[in-house]
Amino acid sequence: MPEAALRVSGRVVEQLPNALYRVELTSAGRPHITAHAAGESGLLRLRPGDAVEVELSSYDPGRGRILGKGSE
Amino acid sequence: MSVQKSWGELQKMHRACGIVVQTLEALARAAVPGVATKELDRIAREHIVKAGARPAFLGYRGYPATLCISVNEEVVHGIPGERKLKDGDVVGLDLGCVVDGFYGDAARTVGVGRVSDSARRLMKVTEESLRAGIEKCRPGNRVGDIGHAVQEVAEGQGFSVVREFVGHGIGTALHEDPQVPNYGPPGRRERLVPGMCLAIEPMVNVGGPDVRVLDDGWTAVTTDGSLSAHFELSVAIMPEGPWILSEPYPYAAKEARA
Repeated sequence: MPEAALRVSGRVVEQLPNALYRVELTSAGRPHITAHAAGESGLLRLRPGDAVEVELSSYDPGRGRILGKGSE
Repeated sequence: MSVQKSWGELQKMHRACGIVVQTLEALARAAVPGVATKELDRIAREHIVKAGARPAFLGYRGYPATLCISVNEEVVHGIPGERKLKDGDVVGLDLGCVVDGFYGDAARTVGVGRVSDSARRLMKVTEESLRAGIEKCRPGNRVGDIGHAVQEVAEGQGFSVVREFVGHGIGTALHEDPQVPNYGPPGRRERLVPGMCLAIEPMVNVGGPDVRVLDDGWTAVTTDGSLSAHFELSVAIMPEGPWILSEPYPYAAKEARA
């Protein structure tokens, strides 16, 4: 039985204070999440529309960390 | 980091995986036109209980059945019900069981009656991609190498690989770390060490890679409605290379090891 992936791709929709972003996940049927720009990605200037790679929290489905800029 | 299993623990995994694959064989024979998916679930359950094991999926995060049965455009996690199989259906059977606290997990996709050439090709390529992934299960390689090998085979034949669901470590829980995606660059993610057990499970679509989950909260279908196939085997990483846990130990028999 496959497991739902934790590392997924998304797109920034809004910048929030404290290196937080609203991120829309590319996978259909998943809601927006609040993601923290973690590690190196905290130094990036992310703008709405930017593709990002996100690691979802296994504790809270509405939160995640941005690992870096995404490809697509 | 996945827990490294001892030789004795691997023997239990071996038994669990053996039961799963034998049950899948029986289910593949039972998947004929006109049979209800609920009936296959019943067969699976009886088989597992008779073998002295316990169904692994029943009750897992509220999953209501022993078997996941995913017909045609359904990718994975299809719930058995009243639906009857038709001639030409492509049916994914995914099954797990527990023996002595250790989990076995495997899946295969079968054609019902006469299936189209493209469906047959899809199943063949998916199984080949699984084999390519297993071939990378050697100490020193990384989890990303497995996904890359799977992706190369599947996309090389013009199919696409599902991103939203991934393989996983397996052992005393159905899903252990690490996650094993079926795509991505080689040389990334966790390093493989002897004694790790991974369930590798490519899900391959004829059309695009996108999937969505139906309102039942489980069944995943391809967004474009194209056919999808799913093969899965549990593999232990041994010093000599991969050991497909449902098969006999492939290397020269050895005494206990770490």
